[in-house]
Amino acid sequence: MSITLYLGCVIKALYPEVEKAIKEVLERMGVNFEEPKDASCCAPLGFFSLNRDAWLRLNERNMRLFQDTVVTACDDCFASLNDAFKIVSENKGIKAPEVKPFGKFMLENLENRGLRFSFKGLRCTVQHSCHFLRPARGMDDAENPRVVKSVLEKLGYLPVSYDGELDCCGGLAFEERVREMLARRKAEALEKSGADCVVSTCSHCMRQLRAVSRLPILHLAQLSALSMGANPEEIGVPDMLLRRMVKP
Amino acid sequence: MINRLRERGAGNFLKCIQCGSCTSACIVNVVEEEFNPRKIIGSIVRFNKFPDQDPWLCSACLLCVERCPQGVNPFSIIVSLRTIRYENGNALPNKVIELIEQVKKTGLAFSLSKEVEEKRKLLGLPGFGLSEEGLSEVRRILLEAGV
Ligand code: SF4
Ligand code: SF4
Repeated sequence: MSITLYLGCVIKALYPEVEKAIKEVLERMGVNFEEPKDASCCAPLGFFSLNRDAWLRLNERNMRLFQDTVVTACDDCFASLNDAFKIVSENKGIKAPEVKPFGKFMLENLENRGLRFSFKGLRCTVQHSCHFLRPARGMDDAENPRVVKSVLEKLGYLPVSYDGELDCCGGLAFEERVREMLARRKAEALEKSGADCVVSTCSHCMRQLRAVSRLPILHLAQLSALSMGANPEEIGVPDMLLRRMVKP
Repeated sequence: MINRLRERGAGNFLKCIQCGSCTSACIVNVVEEEFNPRKIIGSIVRFNKFPDQDPWLCSACLLCVERCPQGVNPFSIIVSLRTIRYENGNALPNKVIELIEQVKKTGLAFSLSKEVEEKRKLLGLPGFGLSEEGLSEVRRILLEAGV
């Protein structure tokens, strides 16, 4: 299998350990991937709130650099690329690549890989990404999301439900006051869940929650790579979490 | 006003029945009571008036889109209000200005710190950033689109 990997600006610039984890996962799953050096920012909200034309044209350019399948590391990139490609493809009659968010890609490809998982038993809460779930695109149940939880279960981790699970963390709010209030509210809800860590597939959620939460905020790729035997230090999994897991 | 909103991608606001589902779904309304998507749409549909509320308070959670029984897409209306405010010369939040300047400069939304650059090397990750040609294409697109 051959894909384009689109990591997104936040992960590339701020979270090298997440980039490493995703690449470890793809390599261990035998997926060939390519990262077009010249792809630009997917121009999400800040842009298309102001200038739809710029959003569509930047992504038409991105589209031409991509293979038939694109896997995104951040759900906000997924939404921006996916929705822009659909519009460009309809307007211009060009075939759009299929965009897969990392969680969905894992759910579809994890089975039958003959992987031996090396850690189990961690209690995880999921920070669901607003822009993966909504507007509903038929990829998950928008009111009762299962995709990320199912991947965690398959890897041997224990997803924990909590009150306020669908609430937005404010990672894409532009006003400081709103950002802070939503982050605090969400961090409290996550801490009350009693889990050992929070799992996300959106770089904005990660950034927002890492600033306020006492729990470790991990990308799904980090736990996936850990299961598949990657070096915990390289993929940024803290020791305190390793101590809470069992080796099967 | 109605056409101006439509041309900027606003959803089907004339179908709004003012039921308030959007506001009961709205997380920003929980923490900031004066922000109220039902009233925003009401102001347009019932009073033919641009709402006074700041459309930049919305956190883009999209729950109003999911829950509206009339398929109105309240978020799209908020986005078109942002566009119109911008076109009218209203100030943008700092975060938006920073984002746009960064993309104009590098084609990406964030730049690399020394620390991350070192870590990327240590982990054997590839170079960061677009080529000269790539960047000039991106800049030309932004210029032509009027960003
Ligand atoms: S949920 Fe839809 S119909 Fe109800 S008030 Fe909001 S926009 Fe109008
Ligand atoms: S998208 Fe904006 S207006 Fe709609 S529910 Fe979320 S915060 Fe409220």
